[in-house]
Amino acid sequence: MNSIPDLLASALRESIPAEGWRWLEKARAELGNGAGLERFCGLVSLSSRYIPRRGGPVWSAAQRAQAGRLLAGWDPERWTSLECGRALLVLALKELEAPRGASMVEEAFRYADMGELCALYKTLALLPEPKRFVWRAGEGCRSSMKSVFEAVACDNPLPVRHFDDVAWRQMLIKALFVEAPLSRVFGLETRLDAEIARMALDLADERRSAGRPVNPDSWRLVAKHGGARGIASLERESASGTPAGKAAASEVLARSR
Amino acid sequence: MRFFDPHIHVTSRTTDDLEAMAKAGIRGVIEPAFWLGQPRTQLGSFVDYFSSLVGWERFRCSQFGIAHSCAIGLNSKEANNEGLAREVLELLPHFALKEGVVAVGEIGFDEITKAEERAYIAQLIFAVEHDMVVMVHSPHRDKKNGIRLSLKIAQECKLPMSRLVIDHNNEETVQDVLDAGAWAAFTIYPHTKMGSERMVEIVKKYGPERIIVDSSADWGISDPLSVPKTAKLMLERGIAKEWVEKTTWQNAIDVYAQSGQLDLDVLEGEGAIDQSGFYGDSSVLRGQTPRVDEKVPN
Repeated sequence: MNSIPDLLASALRESIPAEGWRWLEKARAELGNGAGLERFCGLVSLSSRYIPRRGGPVWSAAQRAQAGRLLAGWDPERWTSLECGRALLVLALKELEAPRGASMVEEAFRYADMGELCALYKTLALLPEPKRFVWRAGEGCRSSMKSVFEAVACDNPLPVRHFDDVAWRQMLIKALFVEAPLSRVFGLETRLDAEIARMALDLADERRSAGRPVNPDSWRLVAKHGGARGIASLERESASGTPAGKAAASEVLARSR
Repeated sequence: MRFFDPHIHVTSRTTDDLEAMAKAGIRGVIEPAFWLGQPRTQLGSFVDYFSSLVGWERFRCSQFGIAHSCAIGLNSKEANNEGLAREVLELLPHFALKEGVVAVGEIGFDEITKAEERAYIAQLIFAVEHDMVVMVHSPHRDKKNGIRLSLKIAQECKLPMSRLVIDHNNEETVQDVLDAGAWAAFTIYPHTKMGSERMVEIVKKYGPERIIVDSSADWGISDPLSVPKTAKLMLERGIAKEWVEKTTWQNAIDVYAQSGQLDLDVLEGEGAIDQSGFYGDSSVLRGQTPRVDEKVPN
């Protein structure tokens, strides 16, 4: 399994009915032969009628490790079968690395429903030169649909590698708002700084002023760069936060000592 | 009591809401232009949206005895689609100068990007050129910083602070806004931002000057009766009636009346319902007998 499509295909083939697999193979061939935009968007939609939207491939430890080797930070474990199928459709596009391919992907976003959006956002990191899609990934982060936001923010190597500082920090703070798990943000620990700690501390102050609990994930952003203000806020949380907040703050404090 | 809700997205609310609002004493509203929960992808969507704010929504409210005015602007989220944003900014004069448009809004920051800043500045300049009031949406994330930046840029663009409303304040931001001389609005949401209880404490602490209560009710979980409900709680908690009137009626009218586009005669007069009207060929009625000349209950 030396390529992303091969790995996806081998995992998906095991997990869906034969009829669905045959449909997908035919569709991929069609796209590889240069099928146009309308057919591409049609196939992305049609796939929901052939590939199950619930459940996904069972990934062996070896397959997940291989995924990480092919693309550091890519973890398909939570992908549904339909998302895998749609990713394979995108990856089958002819001239994917050329402007034609990029514009076809962009157009597919334009007509996408919620399930298609999730699949397309998850696929961006797998494409040649994902940097081309960094604005689009930012749009995903602006979404009010948590599933769409998580398709960009979680288990996805694109943000840490390609987002500018503003987009990266906004994504992390938004994750606190919508309660997307920071533990699933790839590369989190490698890209924290004093500014993101300041934003997380301001948010904690706002929540406390409002008499509302602080998201325990906040402390991950404060850990190393919060300075004296961070320590004070952590100590306050470990003394008087929610049970989950106390546990999270105490753990960060223990590690920083 | 009578109330004025200076921030509500009526386009997302049903006629049941409008009926309940009128019944609770809401006499007038301002509907600022915002996004619709997901981004628009072409200019035509904005044309139709702005047009509904100065047309159909105004009519719909009137059918329930509620005086509707609006604010027109490019919101911060959609400012990040820069190509489309440029087109929308060119479109603004077609709608922002219409009768009943009381402000440029809601504009400001969401992610605090350079693209948002450019759109904000362009609209501030437009507002200053036309002596307009500005309604600023403050960001959810990095709010304190975002509000300070919004104030600073508005000052640099020479917008008089008496014509600036900063919305969605909280305990951590109100002092900055009041110190700058701008108006501080508070959105009362059932679960997020501000609750009525917190609003009571803020009015107790800061008094009623330049403080405004609104609902920002939209397509999300929100309450179109936030303003009257908060007023009731303020009275129950011993806040003077004059203060309650200021924060839920007079202050908002004072700031937005500077536009010359609030119909004070209608607001101050006795509201009456006349549902016999049509907008184009459309009525809000579905075969019911129109309520005519019924006095607005408050």
